Amino acid sequence: MKLLKDIKNLLIGMRITGKHLGRHAITIQYPEERWEMPERSRGIVVLLSDKETGDLNCTGCLLCMKACPSAAIFIDAPRDPETKKRKLLTFTVDNALCCFCGLCEEACNFSAIKMATMYEFSEPEKEGFLWDMKKLQEVGLDVDYIDTRKKKPAKKVPKPATDSGTATDKIVPDTLDSDAKQTPPAPEPDKPKEDGE
Amino acid sequence: MTYPLPFGELHGVFGWLYELLESTGLPQPWLDVVRYAALGALVFGVISLLALFLVWWERKIAAHIQQRFGPMRHGWHGWYQTVADAVKLLTKEDILVDTRDKFVFFWAPVICFVAAFLAYVTIPFGEGLIVADLNIGILYIMAITTFTIISLLMAGWGSNNKYALLGGIRSAAQLISYEIPMVASILVVVLFVGSMSMVDIVEAQSGWITNWYVFRVPFGPIAFITYIIAATAEANRTPFDIPEAEQELVAGYNIEYSGMKFAMFFLAEFANGFTVSAIAVTLFFGGWHGPFLPSWVWFLLKTLGVVFLLMLFRWTYPRLRVDQLMEFAWKFLVPVTFANLILAAWMKYAGWYW
Amino acid sequence: MAELRTEEFTVNMGPHHPSTHGVCRLILTLSGEKVIKIVPVIGYLHRALEKICENRTYAQCIPVMDRFEYVTAMSCEYLFSNAAEKLAEIEVPERAEYLRVIMLELNRIASHLIFYGVTAMDIGALTPFLYGLREREGIIDLFEMTCGQRLTYNYIRIGGVSKDIPPQFEPKCRETIKTIREKLNDYEGLLNENPIWLVRNKGIGVLPADLGIAYGVSGPVLRASGVKYDIRKDDPYSIYDRFDFEIPTRENGDCYDRYLLRLDEIKQSLNIVEQALDALPEGDIKAKVSPNFKPPAGEVYARVENSRGELGVYIQSDGGKKPLRVKMRGGSFNQLQVLPEIGTDCLVADLVAIFASLDIILPEVDR
Repeated sequence: MKLLKDIKNLLIGMRITGKHLGRHAITIQYPEERWEMPERSRGIVVLLSDKETGDLNCTGCLLCMKACPSAAIFIDAPRDPETKKRKLLTFTVDNALCCFCGLCEEACNFSAIKMATMYEFSEPEKEGFLWDMKKLQEVGLDVDYIDTRKKKPAKKVPKPATDSGTATDKIVPDTLDSDAKQTPPAPEPDKPKEDGE
Repeated sequence: MTYPLPFGELHGVFGWLYELLESTGLPQPWLDVVRYAALGALVFGVISLLALFLVWWERKIAAHIQQRFGPMRHGWHGWYQTVADAVKLLTKEDILVDTRDKFVFFWAPVICFVAAFLAYVTIPFGEGLIVADLNIGILYIMAITTFTIISLLMAGWGSNNKYALLGGIRSAAQLISYEIPMVASILVVVLFVGSMSMVDIVEAQSGWITNWYVFRVPFGPIAFITYIIAATAEANRTPFDIPEAEQELVAGYNIEYSGMKFAMFFLAEFANGFTVSAIAVTLFFGGWHGPFLPSWVWFLLKTLGVVFLLMLFRWTYPRLRVDQLMEFAWKFLVPVTFANLILAAWMKYAGWYW
Repeated sequence: MAELRTEEFTVNMGPHHPSTHGVCRLILTLSGEKVIKIVPVIGYLHRALEKICENRTYAQCIPVMDRFEYVTAMSCEYLFSNAAEKLAEIEVPERAEYLRVIMLELNRIASHLIFYGVTAMDIGALTPFLYGLREREGIIDLFEMTCGQRLTYNYIRIGGVSKDIPPQFEPKCRETIKTIREKLNDYEGLLNENPIWLVRNKGIGVLPADLGIAYGVSGPVLRASGVKYDIRKDDPYSIYDRFDFEIPTRENGDCYDRYLLRLDEIKQSLNIVEQALDALPEGDIKAKVSPNFKPPAGEVYARVENSRGELGVYIQSDGGKKPLRVKMRGGSFNQLQVLPEIGTDCLVADLVAIFASLDIILPEVDR
């Protein structure tokens, strides 16, 4: 009787695989068909430009650079001795180092950097992964985003620290250099950027 | 006009070719040499095409069972994907291990491929479509396919690799064990036909579908099931593919082979799969017999049906362990096949059959 | 004629062997096909994760923790966040806790689905692998929809979760649960009673309960030996005490029991996810945590039950923005150590089955 049971179970297995044989494939043919990436999908890092003027939103505050766990972002933004404002000279992202964690996007207060849904950036040479400011801006031109800068017009107002008790004096990231302390502090860093989703 | 070899329904084509050959005015011994060489090339071509087709087909079936597409790039549903693969393997660098046994390493794939190739000589592809109707046809096939064991053992030894050696030893143990139930199952049919000629076996099953040996209850179905189990093992296919057991021995005996040599093993494996299916069709499913369609189409359809069964096995079942495999062969399959053989002999003696 | 003799020989199984699940290397001494000695060699995937964590701020540690045990990255994130929260005594919002539980359990299911496929593949059945991954895909899509990544999520953060679930999450999640419930029948039909599967797994690699405890084995492997030990019940973290679920156990401790137990766990996890979805409250998803998160000086050990046993992290803080010392504990490490005990005196094929049934993942062993 064990033999009959075994044969029955073997046939059940064949039935299951045979049943699947007639079904349609669930995979897609990649280069022709493409996966529709979810809105939140974290692909390559891009720099966003102002929708009206076309200038970069980035102010060179170095917050994303400090937030990056794998040191993939290099920013050169020296402070102008007169105006005390930073001038963004270079902004380079090493896509080979990037770990796609999205911390830079969350650290940014100026809607300047975003992880786009693009995921194809293979390069034959390792140097090709170094994307400079121009390329990052170019790629980021048609990336849709919600501009959160306009909501905070008063840049110099220190973050609404009054309501968050203990964290008041620590709100300026002390990972920044001493001169960075004068840059606009982080306004409500915990607030999710994707309110609109 | 008579031809040295009848070609059944393809008579016209082959007759014309033969006349063409005769019209060149070659003297007699050379005429035969050219004719047999052409036949050999034809069989070789058929096997290669069949093997390539089977590789493609297996990939497609595996893919569809797993809800994938499988090869899709080259031609309609990737039909010439395997051709491209074969060309790739042919042109690939032949990586050789320094510590190999040169002679053994070189000849192993050749023997494997030739053994698979020779078996096709006595397979009746259709009415009259047979290269040589030997009167010991089935015995010849059994003898020739056993060469595969030697080649796998040679490959395992010649590679000078421990995994390959384990694979070679496993294959020797397995194939020798499964040869016995396989032959015992075949003998049931031979017993009833009274001849070992493949053509005679097929002719004995002419007429209604009930004349097929697989429907001769009770010994027919039992013989078929035991045969197909043993044949799966003979063709080294899951659940009996322990000689190459990818997850245990990485690739078993062909671990050190690359390029053309690997392609020979690979094609031989699929050619063997086709051979055992063709034997199953010849013995149990009435060979080329069938209505309406030409005989060779029927034969191919039936054979591909059996091959499909083997493929379904492969993509459904896990693999047995080496000792369980032996245990299954010696403690279950051998007694069952012999009991079946005795039963069949007794029924034949008593006349209780139709 | 020279006397016939036999010799043992050494085989290097790994570091790139199809069934060592990554880069484990086993030095096997074989007598024919029989394994008489196993020496696992680890470290091929060592990335110094603990040291890397010590050079990162707490927030930056979370993406690093994703790489610790990437098959169930959610539990690693939760683990680290939980440890940091314990250290800084942060209260996590209710909704965040529920979301965390949903993600943790979905991730556990995904991991067990991989186990199902990979184990079947190691024993030679290639089709279940694709089936297992097919259902896992539904779960991964849920994760991607929520946090944007498929494997290294960086979703669970100190104080909560990074993003709220999108509105289409809940219907899709329920649909996925339904699909997995249906497909589990296929899984069981393919393997559970298959005679070949039974002879390959039953009575193979029996791990006695006391040996398992002595080696510090935990998780499904230990529960398959009959020890009812699950951190979710025995030392409840998050809000697991609010859910109604069973801790499945099995008696024999062989490969087959370990396999069945994981299928049982999938069913239990599906129940938990459903309960959590039903009870999901509205509210905040993250407590207020400063970007310069600096926990007070002290030390903490947090542990979670992940699909491979007890996953733990020990953090020592000096009050700075970076942890002073991080030590991780993974279940796979202990399970790899017990392999020589239960894998000796069997055949090579059995060793593969045992290795698969222990469900070892090498990044967790090597760190």
